[in-house]
Amino acid sequence: MPKISLWLSSLVVAVTAAIPVQISYAQENILFPPKSLPSVQALLKKMSQDAAHINYRGSFTYQNQTSIELQSFRVEHWVENGVEHDRFIFLNGPERVIVREGQPVDCKAMGDELLQGRISQIGKILVDMDDLYQFEIRGQERIAGRMARVLQVIPKDPYRYGYFLSIDEETGLVLKSWLIDENAQPLERYQFISLDLNPDIAQLKTQMSAHQHKAVSDVTPCNPTDISKPSNWQIDWVPQGFIFAGQRNLTSGQTMLMYTDGLTTFSIFIEATTSFVPEGVGKRGATLAYMSRLSVKDVVHRVSVVGEIPVAAAAKIAQNITGQ
Amino acid sequence: MSEQNRPQTFAESISALMDNQASELELQRILKASEQDSDVKATWSRYQITSALLRGDKAPVFSSSVMSDFSARISAAIDLEETLQVDESTKVSVEQTKPQQGLWYQLGRVALVASVAGGMVLGVNQFNAIGVDNSQIASNQVVAPASVETTVSLPSGINGPLLNTRNVAVQTGYETRPQENRRVMFQPRQATPVVSDEEVSRYVNQMIKAHSDNAAMNSGQGVLPYARVIITDEE
Repeated sequence: MPKISLWLSSLVVAVTAAIPVQISYAQENILFPPKSLPSVQALLKKMSQDAAHINYRGSFTYQNQTSIELQSFRVEHWVENGVEHDRFIFLNGPERVIVREGQPVDCKAMGDELLQGRISQIGKILVDMDDLYQFEIRGQERIAGRMARVLQVIPKDPYRYGYFLSIDEETGLVLKSWLIDENAQPLERYQFISLDLNPDIAQLKTQMSAHQHKAVSDVTPCNPTDISKPSNWQIDWVPQGFIFAGQRNLTSGQTMLMYTDGLTTFSIFIEATTSFVPEGVGKRGATLAYMSRLSVKDVVHRVSVVGEIPVAAAAKIAQNITGQ
Repeated sequence: MSEQNRPQTFAESISALMDNQASELELQRILKASEQDSDVKATWSRYQITSALLRGDKAPVFSSSVMSDFSARISAAIDLEETLQVDESTKVSVEQTKPQQGLWYQLGRVALVASVAGGMVLGVNQFNAIGVDNSQIASNQVVAPASVETTVSLPSGINGPLLNTRNVAVQTGYETRPQENRRVMFQPRQATPVVSDEEVSRYVNQMIKAHSDNAAMNSGQGVLPYARVIITDEE
């Protein structure tokens, strides 16, 4: 008898449980009501400009193509006396923190200028972002409890990847970002899971970590008004729309040349060497390193093109580098 | 409760069958009894309805005509058992593609019960087939060498045949930190016995770290690119 009564009571539970299940199923199919969409330009401007001015503390997850592992990070950002402070905390594995501070809040790097369509009005050879990518707003999405606009970005040539960007409607923060390769497969994915727009700044400031690594805040100049060229090196070909953003001499002895098209970046590393130069293609996650050997006036140089770009682009860039 | 005395033992057995606890002997006994005993049939029918609701079937329709012949269907299903076992995957796909309340659906359901009683873990197969959307899982595959071969032609003098991709890892670091992927997939243009895998990996990771400063400043996505950085303790 106990089994019979169990089944009978299960019947009652099942009947009552079945009804709400069907209702919620129907609700899932209701799309968010369409509102008037902002222009792509307004969205890109918000993305590249607004988030620098706010204080926040959020967590996000990251996954790339070469590893099934899901990693998680916390980001803290606050503005004090017109200067930005970033802290980037690795939540998995050994404790590590990347700290970046000292960048003026109104600093617009070359990438921001391109995204906001400002630099294109200065130089004659420059092209509009719309010549490089096809932008399309794909509606609304809720991420980390917040409403975001989904921006689909499809490249118009084979020298860059595509994106799905979900941009917070209020703050302009990129809450979700997928990098999409030429086969429409995601190369890497970021996604926020929580965001606090009123963090305790006093508490953030006092936090110290034993494993802090300083990032370079002024890696490329602020508010460029003109297009410069790298010194000592001539880069004869870069994909359309990529602009030279700055140059650094690293402590490792490498000369680093930085390029951006507003959304995608790559860096060229050049160093003279007397040792054997391994040539080939290295790849980790979405980032590719095309390594080659270049002789300039009988001096062997190790040349690497590193960035989130297809190998076709990196190889062609590397083959068109000449010394001056 | 009409299941009294003798039928009660059958009710227990049917319940056990529904719970996937019935022995082969019990199953045979239930089937034989249900050929004559309408009470056993009725009990089996009720349990089927309950089971269907518990499984979340949306609208189990059990007309009396369908129910009356349930045991015959079970017998038929068991007769079919051999074929079904041979071609299990086909049957699973039938289950998926015909979710209607038709004859195939009923047969499939009965066959499922019979199969479970026979000790097959068909439910797991079915779950795997339905629940996993392969496109949602990040590919863990090595970068296809084909993508390199489609690149622009290399300058003369260095265009040796491309070798196969090999995984490069800083062994000690990678093994103690499984949650981190330090691997650099390296596709050398020539065999490079002079340079170790570790050195290539370290070199690339160092450049990715420097490049991330550029990406964090010039890609419009804030500090997100720092997630690509591998920081090692020796730095």
